[in-house]
Amino acid sequence: MNTLIIELRKEKRTGVIPLLLLVGVLGAAYAFVNFIVRKDTLLNLPLAPMDVLLTQLYGMIMVLNMFGIVVAACMVYNMEFKGTAIKKMYMLPISVPKMYLCKFFILTVLLLTAIVLQNLALLKIGISDLPKGTFEMDTLLKFTAYSFITSMPTLSFMVLVSSRFENMWIPLGIGVAGFLSGMALANSNVSLLLVHPFVVMLKPAVAMSAQPDNEIAIISMAETFLFLGMGLWMAKHLRYE
Amino acid sequence: MDYIITTEQLTKKYKNFISVNKVSMHIQKGSIYGFLGPNGAGKSTTMKMLLGLTSPTGGSFTVDGGRFPDDRISILKKVGSFIESPSFYANLTGRENLDIIRRILGLPENAVDDALELVGLTEFGNRLAKKYSLGMKQRLGLAGALLGRPPILILDEPTNGLDPSGIHEIRNLIKSLPSLYDCTVLISSHMLSEIELMADDIGILNHGRLLFEGSLDELRQNAVQAGFAADNKISSANLEDMFLSMIDKDNAARKQRAQL
Repeated sequence: MNTLIIELRKEKRTGVIPLLLLVGVLGAAYAFVNFIVRKDTLLNLPLAPMDVLLTQLYGMIMVLNMFGIVVAACMVYNMEFKGTAIKKMYMLPISVPKMYLCKFFILTVLLLTAIVLQNLALLKIGISDLPKGTFEMDTLLKFTAYSFITSMPTLSFMVLVSSRFENMWIPLGIGVAGFLSGMALANSNVSLLLVHPFVVMLKPAVAMSAQPDNEIAIISMAETFLFLGMGLWMAKHLRYE
Repeated sequence: MDYIITTEQLTKKYKNFISVNKVSMHIQKGSIYGFLGPNGAGKSTTMKMLLGLTSPTGGSFTVDGGRFPDDRISILKKVGSFIESPSFYANLTGRENLDIIRRILGLPENAVDDALELVGLTEFGNRLAKKYSLGMKQRLGLAGALLGRPPILILDEPTNGLDPSGIHEIRNLIKSLPSLYDCTVLISSHMLSEIELMADDIGILNHGRLLFEGSLDELRQNAVQAGFAADNKISSANLEDMFLSMIDKDNAARKQRAQL
């Protein structure tokens, strides 16, 4: 708990917390504006109303979340490397893996908050704008959980990458490369490509159904824990130099 | 002898370069140990190994009976350190930076004010650390090392970047620490004149090898025997000559060995 409080205090003036909250607000605003402007077009698509609500708006929301994750993960470790503060942490009686875990936890909670804000907007749209009787609360909840689970491998991967490079531009570049390659590969049905965390995150955005794909959800969880485990191992076993 | 830090044949090798070569040091409890050597001699690397920042490739060491990595936390609880350049969170104020360290060490809130006062940074405590001058950053780094008055202090060239009055002030502070609260200080410098004013014992390092270890009096006696002092009177200049001659001799011997 003490490590978590310390990590939260370190975040002061870094902009990490406002950034991910802003991502949530922007995602929610995008959903509202898009549905107001394109309501008729969207509802005339040959899809069930719930599929329209959840899959047709998710693309842009997911891109916002992805960039939010990439930038926040870079910022959360940039503050450690700027001023070589991390060197001091290695010289203090604090568990470096615990520090890593707390950063991961803070970003996870912030991402979850952003996703909840975005889905609250979808809830409002669903209740007020979908044809009467077509809104399904459990489908929305399932999709919220699914979009969170599929976003986690990217978050876990980006925290790992950011913790290993002193120069913030390297993880940022890896994040952008991940986004672009993910966009190019997301429509492929080759299962092997699911090892790419950005492809996994993009899968719900390219799907035409709001029903979660269990295989992708399981792969997402496995990747999340794999990258987290790697990060914790590196934090424990690799020295500062 | 009651040694608080000992190293046995401590070695750090990089690919084609030996930074620290079989160094065996013995630091007495309650003393100020001056670690002397030219730039690149391996002083900082030795200190980094003592703090677990880098792992040795050979030999071993103990800090108050503990060994890395098994006793990392218990060792670091007893050691205040300052290595190479000050480390700080640029987004936080000086006071907030020290508060982070205070929380990690589990110290009372007044420990921050105490450390700020010790290094003369009280009036700048609420300024962002990134806006500090080099000397102020140096003082902040020192405050971080002194926080909670730890029993062991490892300080790597702590007066770098300070103005002459700052150097004098910090030197006096370091000199007073063992009597102030019974701590042991390992301090490095490339200037014998500086170490001479503070240290009880000295270790001279060149190209990773420990050329001399002993008390300041022993070094003075060596200087007399080596003919660096006229009328058996040792001045700072004589000792400096002795130190430089030791380094030159070792460098010449190294060159000779390399040519063979």
